[in-house]
Amino acid sequence: MNLPGALLTVALGLCLATALLALAVPARIRPALSGVGTAAAGAAGAAAGGAAMAGQTWSAWLPDLLPLAGVRLTLDPLGGLFIAVTGGVAVCAGVYGIGYARHGLSGRIVQATLPLFVASMLLVPAAAAVSTLLVAWELMAITSLLLVLAEHGRRPAVGGAGLWYAVMTHLGLIAILGGLAGFAAGAHGEAFEQLRSARLSPLARDAVFLATFAGFASKAGIVPLHAWLPRAHPEAPSHVSALMSAAMVNMGVYGIARVGLDLLPGSTGGASGGGTPAWWWLLVLAAGGASAMYGILQAAVSSDLKRLLGYSTTENMGLVLMGLGAAGFFATRGAPQLAALALVAALLHVVNHAAFKTLLFQAAGSVLHATGTRNLDVLGGLRARMPYTTALFAVGALAASALPPGNGFVSEWLLLQSLVHAIPASGVAGAVAMPLAVGVVAMSAGLAVATFVKAFGVGFLARPRGPEAERAVESPPSMLGGMGLAALCCAVLAVGPTVIVPGLARAVGTLLPGPAPVTGPAMRTVTLHLSGIAGTMSPLLIAVALAAAIALAAGAVRMFSARRRRAARLWDCGAGPMSPRMQYTATSFAEPLQRVFDDVLRPEMDIDVTPKKESAYLVERIRFHAMVPDRIERRLYGPLLAAAEALGRRARALANGSVHRYLAYGFWTLTGLLILLAVIP
Amino acid sequence: MSDSLYAQWLALACGAFLLAGVLVLWRRDLAAIVRLFALQGVALGAMVVVLGLRQGSVHLVAVAVGVGALRAGLLPYLMRRALDTPRPGGETAADEARETRPLVNVATSLLAAAVLALVAYAVSQPIVRLSPDPATRAVPVALTVLLVGFFVLVTRRRALSQVVGFLLIDNAITATAFLTTSGVPLVVELGVSLDVLLAVLVLQVLTTRMRAAFGGTDLDELRELHD
Amino acid sequence: MTGLSSAGLSSAGLNAAGPDAVGLIATVLQVVLVVVGAPLLTGLMRQVRARMEGRAGAGVLQPWRDLRKLLRKEPIDPRGTGWPFRLAPLVLAGTALVVAAVVPLVTTASPLDSAADLFAVTALLALGSVALALGGLDTGTAFGGMGASREVTVLALVEPTILVSVFALSVRAGSTNLGTIVGLTEADPMRVLSPASLLAAVALALVTIAETGRIPVDNPSTHLELTMIHEAMVLEYSGPDLALIEWASAARLTVLLGLLGSLFLPWGVATGGAAGMGALVAVLVGVAAFAAKTAVLGMLLAAGEVFMAKLRLFRIPELLAGSFLLALLAVAASYFLAGGA
Repeated sequence: MNLPGALLTVALGLCLATALLALAVPARIRPALSGVGTAAAGAAGAAAGGAAMAGQTWSAWLPDLLPLAGVRLTLDPLGGLFIAVTGGVAVCAGVYGIGYARHGLSGRIVQATLPLFVASMLLVPAAAAVSTLLVAWELMAITSLLLVLAEHGRRPAVGGAGLWYAVMTHLGLIAILGGLAGFAAGAHGEAFEQLRSARLSPLARDAVFLATFAGFASKAGIVPLHAWLPRAHPEAPSHVSALMSAAMVNMGVYGIARVGLDLLPGSTGGASGGGTPAWWWLLVLAAGGASAMYGILQAAVSSDLKRLLGYSTTENMGLVLMGLGAAGFFATRGAPQLAALALVAALLHVVNHAAFKTLLFQAAGSVLHATGTRNLDVLGGLRARMPYTTALFAVGALAASALPPGNGFVSEWLLLQSLVHAIPASGVAGAVAMPLAVGVVAMSAGLAVATFVKAFGVGFLARPRGPEAERAVESPPSMLGGMGLAALCCAVLAVGPTVIVPGLARAVGTLLPGPAPVTGPAMRTVTLHLSGIAGTMSPLLIAVALAAAIALAAGAVRMFSARRRRAARLWDCGAGPMSPRMQYTATSFAEPLQRVFDDVLRPEMDIDVTPKKESAYLVERIRFHAMVPDRIERRLYGPLLAAAEALGRRARALANGSVHRYLAYGFWTLTGLLILLAVIP
Repeated sequence: MSDSLYAQWLALACGAFLLAGVLVLWRRDLAAIVRLFALQGVALGAMVVVLGLRQGSVHLVAVAVGVGALRAGLLPYLMRRALDTPRPGGETAADEARETRPLVNVATSLLAAAVLALVAYAVSQPIVRLSPDPATRAVPVALTVLLVGFFVLVTRRRALSQVVGFLLIDNAITATAFLTTSGVPLVVELGVSLDVLLAVLVLQVLTTRMRAAFGGTDLDELRELHD
Repeated sequence: MTGLSSAGLSSAGLNAAGPDAVGLIATVLQVVLVVVGAPLLTGLMRQVRARMEGRAGAGVLQPWRDLRKLLRKEPIDPRGTGWPFRLAPLVLAGTALVVAAVVPLVTTASPLDSAADLFAVTALLALGSVALALGGLDTGTAFGGMGASREVTVLALVEPTILVSVFALSVRAGSTNLGTIVGLTEADPMRVLSPASLLAAVALALVTIAETGRIPVDNPSTHLELTMIHEAMVLEYSGPDLALIEWASAARLTVLLGLLGSLFLPWGVATGGAAGMGALVAVLVGVAAFAAKTAVLGMLLAAGEVFMAKLRLFRIPELLAGSFLLALLAVAASYFLAGGA
């Protein structure tokens, strides 16, 4: 067993040991134990992933661990990347959870499930056989479901969210199970090795791809299979939200990349994805584009901080899928360098998104912890009360709005570069799709800016809009530590993406074995050089230049104006001090956008006028209620759920309480089956 | 005329032709729409002149002058007259001279036009591939204008906008004919132009009658005739 | 995918240290020019407006006098504001300075040219706007929030046009690096007259107007709550802070007009190809050309503003959808008519 194998074993062992210990120790020290154990396991996992990305692969077959097939594990650079990301998120979440879980989350089940959840997410990218993948996948679903339900006693919404999540994650599992089982049947074996050398008919390949794509996309929160995400992610405890939103959704991306770019292309005999049909990838691109637009639009008009972050996850996964789709598409068009560039962009965005979304969810949890509310309309004024949380959220928001010097900017820049240079290589379909894709990326970037200016500016700055925010105090050091780690990752990724690019290029190499090893950016300097494209950008230089320019401006002002700063009242038109209720709220901030995108969002407004008793013309009270429903959910899931309910109600006629009738059902079924067996030759 | 100069002038004429077509969707003011249509006529004429100079055909240049005179001069003049006819009743001029509430709002129309342009490009690739010279490559432009004209017909309410939509389609067909076959026989061109003229005259009469009957030119009011 | 190398255009591929030094000098000169010239451009535009409206005008130097006056006043922190409020003017000015150093206004041989391309420039300008929006929100007044909300709405809608225009410009250059695009256009001036380039020019001109808050998107001289965007955000700023903001707004306008000039009228921009005295002369020509182009564009803009009214806030999306359409048509035209690959 080599280094990555040993590290992965240590990580999994730590998870298991932590889970068992958490069941045994008293509640007082349970969060600390669970948090430390999870963080240590995460660190080991991250190291294992890093080693795999550095090129050390490992595989193992444990025939006795599972009945029938045994467990097959392989660490390659691609899986390593996702394991490393999961590990990194787990470190932050573990440290953060020590402080966060102290208040009412120290129950045995929750604390023992957390490390198991991490373990399942470390296992999924390491699985090298269909059965192993599915078992790990289901373990991930169940543990995350338990964690989502952790606070079900406190808020009634948790139960509903859990139900949505349980149903959708299992429908996704069925789709993946169906797809991969069919694949394995066609390949006469279930190990990935065998799948790669399988021979499938084109129809079977399409079916496998579509089924697995649907299943994996639902896990990644891709429109229209996203309905669970903005419910479950906000209702989970915040460090679990971070794990789900920054690590678990990545598994969907991993699945699509693994099946679509690694396993299926091999089954056609063609090299490097050349054999997959282009429409698969255009479908992935379209699904990604729709998610990016729809997710960020819903986030922009949402006033629930964690729901906003959940929709932002949908957006970012959409961007990742756009990169993935573009990569697959370029590969089918015989442009391996562009494909590699797009894939590097997608994978880098996975890493960046994990870093800033961990930070943002943890900061949101810190706010929730301090104020007890997630409603941006009553928050505000946290800058003075929670200075560290505010600063850390600012770092995350900068990254999420894809502005320099944040880390989100780097990956979006790479994605745009790969899309912009596509025209000569990609034919008519590309010539039509790429300008639209650039437009979608740009629009989502612009709306992300609006979203995070709102989240930060309304949620943290100015004055408190409600008593909850007024009472806020800074979170304990362990929570700040967890956030600080994530912020550090953001900062490193922002100025030095060249550090991890070689690892990413190796991960890309497992999927698109092109002839030239110089695909993607090479680590020559601090500048990102693109091979094959004359594009350069240096995040570090931009950051340094920006800092220098700001210092220069500050110095110039100092030099020319010697007078000291003075505090004074806000300008209030002479009408006396302004109350905090006069401030813009999150809803009013998003109103122009809501109006611009009226046709897409279809906000609902409800005006309720209560007249006075004496006369209908004198108004006592006017209640105005406005909400922006998730339109896809309404239009797509509403009818489905109604139909299911109607079916259920009709099925109730089958059970009218008569015991004889129930016995008759059994009798008729038995005879019917016997007759059937007799008829079938 | 050298190759690159020819390609450049043709591209410019086509660009102006396309731009005038899509900008019709942007403007609400009917007078401005008529001006844009006139501009498109000029661009069409210029396009044919460039083609004629390239082929050294005096005949084609003469046709171009005729096309330009009809589409940039006569037809806009007729439409302006329809617009300026005094109204019976107290209908306000400001309301009548504008496309106040198109069925699809302006911003969405513009985005739709962007998509239509890409669709036109995609579907006309087989034609372009037949003979990839600068003139054939401009066929997607004409096709875009055709689709935009159709879009105008579908989504605009005023009778005059409908006329412009119809004429955009006609311009696009003429442009396609010149771009792909370098001109149709003079007789056919004359016949088509005459038809167009007649159609506009008929529509002008219809507009006037509508205004007399309903006091406005919102085509949706024609629904009342159904009952 | 030809890998059109920018080595011949940027300083990297040249053997002597001379051009590097010239590039550095030219870049410093360019920044100084923007720093000093931006308020003058504002003054010039106001003067043109005044004359066309039949007023005498305050003179071209008036913005500098205003800045001097503001710098001497004491800076005031409204109670309840914090670091975002104080940092915003600095970030706004800082981004304007960086952009001024990166964009090829006088020369394409800026040592920073390879650090940031057109996407990065767009993002840097957006960063400045975001800082100001947060400063506005931090005051906790209704005006601050209103201005911030409108600013980010316009920002979000402008973004697609900019990036798709960049796409159109980069199709032929094979790169989004500004130096490469400008250098190529300068080498083949006729391509400015292609439909793709013209459409992209109009689209970028429209978003420049939107980004810099000019009529018809925003009115820089209004203080009417129904209409103001930029002014609403900066209402609470005073003294040197306000001076920085005013300067930075002027600098952004200058840089964006200069960029339009360099992209679509690239004559005179020094490409760093020459060495020694030749290079210095080229730089001086670049300075003169930049000043002349920016002044002419600014005067045109001011003259246009005299004849236009501000659009209603909810008509702005139409304008921006139109500019997006133009940008997309520019991309389409770059392979409709130019024959693709």
